[in-house]
Amino acid sequence: MDIALQINGTTEHLDVSPGVTLLDALRERLGITGPKKGCDRGQCGACTVHIGGRTALSCLTLAATVRQPITTVEGLSTHDQLHPVQRAFADQDALQCGFCTPGQIMSAVAATAQGIDDPDEVREFMSGNLCRCSAYPNIVAAVRSAGSEERRTDATV
Amino acid sequence: MTARPDAPLKVTGSATYALDNLVDRAAHGFLLLSTVAHGEVASMDVDAVRSAPGVLGVYTPFEPLALHPVTSPLLGPMWLPLQDTNVTHHGQPIGFVVAETFEQARDAAGLAAVTYEERQAATSFADGLASAVDAQPAASEAPPSLSVLADGVASIEDALDASDVTIDATYETAPQNHAAMEPHSAVAVWADGELTVYTGNQASHLVAADLAGALGLPADAVQVRNPVVGGAFGGKATSMPAVLAAAAARELGRPVKAALTREQVFTATANRPATVQRIALGARRDGTLAAVRHDSWSSATPDLGFIEPTSHGTSREWYRTENLAISQKAVPLNIPPATFMRAPGEGPGSFALESAIDELAVALAMDPIALRTRNNSTAPPGEDLQWSSKHLDECFEVGAARFGWERRSPDGRVEGDWLVGMGTATAMFPGLRFPATVGVTLHADDTATVAASGADPGTGLLGVLGIVGAESLDLDRDRITPLLGDSRLPPGGLSGGSTATASAGSATMVAAGTVIEQLLALATAPDGPFHGREVGYADGSVHALDDTDRAPMTFGEVLRSTGRDSLGATGTTAPGEEMAKHSFGSWGAQFCEVRVHRLTREIRVSRLLGVFDAGRIINPQAARSQLMGGMIWGVSAALHEGIEFGADGRVTNRDLADYLLPVNADIPDVDVRFVEHPDTLLSDLGARGLGEIGLVGMAAAVANAVHNATGVRVRRIPIRLEDLLED
Repeated sequence: MDIALQINGTTEHLDVSPGVTLLDALRERLGITGPKKGCDRGQCGACTVHIGGRTALSCLTLAATVRQPITTVEGLSTHDQLHPVQRAFADQDALQCGFCTPGQIMSAVAATAQGIDDPDEVREFMSGNLCRCSAYPNIVAAVRSAGSEERRTDATV
Repeated sequence: MTARPDAPLKVTGSATYALDNLVDRAAHGFLLLSTVAHGEVASMDVDAVRSAPGVLGVYTPFEPLALHPVTSPLLGPMWLPLQDTNVTHHGQPIGFVVAETFEQARDAAGLAAVTYEERQAATSFADGLASAVDAQPAASEAPPSLSVLADGVASIEDALDASDVTIDATYETAPQNHAAMEPHSAVAVWADGELTVYTGNQASHLVAADLAGALGLPADAVQVRNPVVGGAFGGKATSMPAVLAAAAARELGRPVKAALTREQVFTATANRPATVQRIALGARRDGTLAAVRHDSWSSATPDLGFIEPTSHGTSREWYRTENLAISQKAVPLNIPPATFMRAPGEGPGSFALESAIDELAVALAMDPIALRTRNNSTAPPGEDLQWSSKHLDECFEVGAARFGWERRSPDGRVEGDWLVGMGTATAMFPGLRFPATVGVTLHADDTATVAASGADPGTGLLGVLGIVGAESLDLDRDRITPLLGDSRLPPGGLSGGSTATASAGSATMVAAGTVIEQLLALATAPDGPFHGREVGYADGSVHALDDTDRAPMTFGEVLRSTGRDSLGATGTTAPGEEMAKHSFGSWGAQFCEVRVHRLTREIRVSRLLGVFDAGRIINPQAARSQLMGGMIWGVSAALHEGIEFGADGRVTNRDLADYLLPVNADIPDVDVRFVEHPDTLLSDLGARGLGEIGLVGMAAAVANAVHNATGVRVRRIPIRLEDLLED
């Protein structure tokens, strides 16, 4: 079937069978490989994207059902300028192998957008994203540091 | 600058893992697995598969992909899929379906009709213990059983009988899966008779050699690329999907992708074995160890391929004792293959040994740290070679002060509804090196590259190469480009055995020294800019030592003035005579605080501290991260993960919902400290590895804390709530 997806500000038209997941459509059809397939069952979070501004597991979402704009990790940074959450992940060493990182970052962006800062609440919010390298404490530090930077920027504006 | 040169790629989604390589006309492969644990594939009706939409190729034991036998220098004979009809375990690859799309391949694979001639399968480790066989522990040249006895002592039993205080207990550890976030996968592309394969692995040159062997190609016709790897932990030393993808791509005349599903990873790769360990310790009243007996059993495949070396990996070396006896047996089963997993031997072995030491401390009414300090070894028992640099006492001293160990009571404490306990354990991992070659190249634009074939699967080796390269070339780090993950680069930096930093780091130093010598020779050659001068190298420049008025020239200027774009050299290091002079190991003190709910028995880890003696620390931020990750692996082994087998040999928890890993909410802040004593007896770099030691001892520290909190000694991991329920 013919579908149109708005991805990172661009509208893409493609012909997919109804059973194709958003994750496979992004990776295999559109060459957007930031979202990763770690389980294909909605259990690891490596495929996390935003749909209409909310986090979604792209491996559990059929491409043909998506109507709202999609943002992937590739859509966060502009003109070589990293998103504050991306910069915080690099600075806090909140990654090792990096395979879960695109999904972690999309969840972290949602956490900071919701103003979540309490360490226990950050841990809870981020618990849908597995990290086998176990960078968890650094991920908490990155979310909190990016959040406080975003709040500072907002206050300045 | 961030701790990891590849962090900017990883946070923007632009790091290219194996399956992120976009290749025109790539077909998709899907594996078909056995549904019995033991027997033969009697028939496979694949007509429906072959005629399904989009299917390009169907390979089975009856119509296999042609492969040649391969023996890996590291792991021995490699199992090659679809070469015969034997089934040795449930979930073994028995077919490979290639189609235009992933969905078509997956759907078509489901149409295969397979029949088996089933044979009786041995699947219970517990049932097999009685008929266990002596087995060679992995990564060891020692015999399965060995003993060291004091003069006049006839047997370990006599030494135990003569001890003032003894404990004797049996411990069990669960089989585990590496569960790297990136499932095993590959993309294979042929062009003009040469093969390029993108596949996550631990050493691209070794995987390239495996592929060349399996496909009957000259070594230089295969290139393997893995610039980033989505986790390995010992589970990606070989790449079975790469073999299938490459062979199918050759048959079909187009690129092929092959990826295991998460469920397939649990049975189509290899796992950490289950272990049972019986430990008897005998001590004098003052805590001096007089006898250590450690008997180990490991689950294994029928060919006894990999045996988890729990007693050889721990009790053989850790404590001073006059009498020691260890043994290793295996229980052959029809279960998925076993292989190295992070801290092989030391991980599960330390759960048993360090729990037993804690039990002995209780029996002696002695502080567990004091007991460990009293029995600190200066060399492995019965051996002359002293530890090159061992500061375990300092680790415990620093750790006890930092953790507030003096507040620990022998019976824990109660805070509201929570029973709170503290536990500790020793961590140790051998200080090893592997042979390594690294290339250092100076470029005319005054930058340099440091390159090796090995891998950085999250370990931080890329940053280490950058730092050591910058230091050795006396350059700023932003002028160094470290490169890893291409089999055409010099063969070094294999990710395994916690060896990469010491091995590739010291080879980088040698290569840098050589390229500087070559630069100076070039500068003073008859047509060089410093002909007839005495020269030296500093700060990225050549200086005339005998004419200080003469302006120095950067190496780029020297290269340009001699008409060169670049100048490169390789450096090679390998274990040498130091191995005949000392014993080498990293050491650490692990601390854990747990809270157990008085009613529900929920177990929460509330504080973790590890203090490590790992020689020189090259990249402190990444080193801390790696140790933190290791410590969380220890918590996971203690409280979360374990493969469960059904009676039919099926893995019953083969996904990430049922195979429990810690999530962020399970993990508190983790404190990591170093006592930094460079070990220049191991290599000029002074660093030992720290990839594995982080998890060693931690599971015991958790269990010891649970005992301190509740009075319940749990000798089987993972610990479950029900282990703490009162009858």
